[in-house]
Amino acid sequence: MLNPDILLAAQESSGQIEKIASTFGVDWPQLLAQIISFSIMCAVLYRWAYKPVLKMLEERRRIVALGQANAEQIKAELARTESMRQDVMAKANAEATRIIEEAHAAAGRVQDSETQKAIAGAEQILAKSKEAASRDYERMLTELKREVGRLVVQTTASVARKTLTPEDQRRLAQETAKELQA
Amino acid sequence: MKATAQIKREAKRLYQLCLVDGSLNEKRATQVVRLVIDSKRRRSMPLLKHFQRFVRLDREAHTANVETAVPLPPDLQTDVQARLKELYGPAIQTEFSLKPALIGGMRIKVGSDVYDGSVQSQLATLEKSFEP
Repeated sequence: MLNPDILLAAQESSGQIEKIASTFGVDWPQLLAQIISFSIMCAVLYRWAYKPVLKMLEERRRIVALGQANAEQIKAELARTESMRQDVMAKANAEATRIIEEAHAAAGRVQDSETQKAIAGAEQILAKSKEAASRDYERMLTELKREVGRLVVQTTASVARKTLTPEDQRRLAQETAKELQA
Repeated sequence: MKATAQIKREAKRLYQLCLVDGSLNEKRATQVVRLVIDSKRRRSMPLLKHFQRFVRLDREAHTANVETAVPLPPDLQTDVQARLKELYGPAIQTEFSLKPALIGGMRIKVGSDVYDGSVQSQLATLEKSFEP
C-alpha cells in the first residue's frame, strides 16, 4: 500500500538528481570506477602503509610509556636510595657520635690513669729523694763526727804533748801501775 | 795434716821437758835444740819450728813489756817490777822501752794481757766515741 504522494515525490526527486548530475557533468560509470579504484587504493594503503605506520606509532608509544615507567621506577629507586642514604648517614653520624663519646670517655679514663701514675711516680721520686737526702745527711753527719773526732784527738794529742809535765807523766804511770793487782 | 799434729805434740812434749818449776829453763831448751839437730831426723826442722813457737809464747807470757812516753823514774820501775812479780810470779822478766807515740802514761803487755793507761789509748777511745 504505497502512498501515491510518496511515489510521485520519488519520481520527482529522481528526476531532480539526474538533472543536477547532468548539470555538474557526473558520469555515473566513471564515478563508479573511480570509487572502486579509490577503495582499492584505500585498502592497499591501509594494508601496506597505514597499518605499519600505526604499528610503528604504537611501538613508539609503548617504548615511551615504558621509558616513562622506567623513569618513574628510577625516580622511586632514587628516592628510596636517597632515603637509605639518609638513614645510613644518620646511622653513621650516630655511630660516629657514639665512637667520639667513647673516645672522649676512654681518653678521660686514660688521662685519669696517667695522672694517677704520674702522681704516684712523682711521690715515689719524692720519697726516694727524701730517702737519698736522709742518707746523705746521715753520711755527712757521720763523716763530720768522724772528722771532728779526728781533729779533737789530733788537737788534744798536740796540746797534751806540749802541756804534760813530768809530774803528770809520773801520775799517769802510777795510775797504770795501780792496775797491776792480783 | 796428721804428721803436723804429731810434730806439734812432740814439740809440746819437748817444751814441757824444758820447764822447771813452771818456768822455761834456757839450758834445757838449748840442750833440746842441739839434740834434735844432732839426731838428724827427717822432720827435725818442722819440729824445731813448733818448739821455737812454744818457747816464744812462753817468753811472751813471762816477759812484761813496759812502754812509756818518757823515761820511767827508777822508783817507779822498781814498783812496776814488784807488782808484776806479785801478779805473774818471780820468773817474770821486765823490759822497759820508750814510745813517744803514747804521749803520756804507760802501757804494759804480758802475754795476751794488756794494761794500757796511755794518753794515746784514751784518745783512741775518744776518737771511737765519735764513730757511729
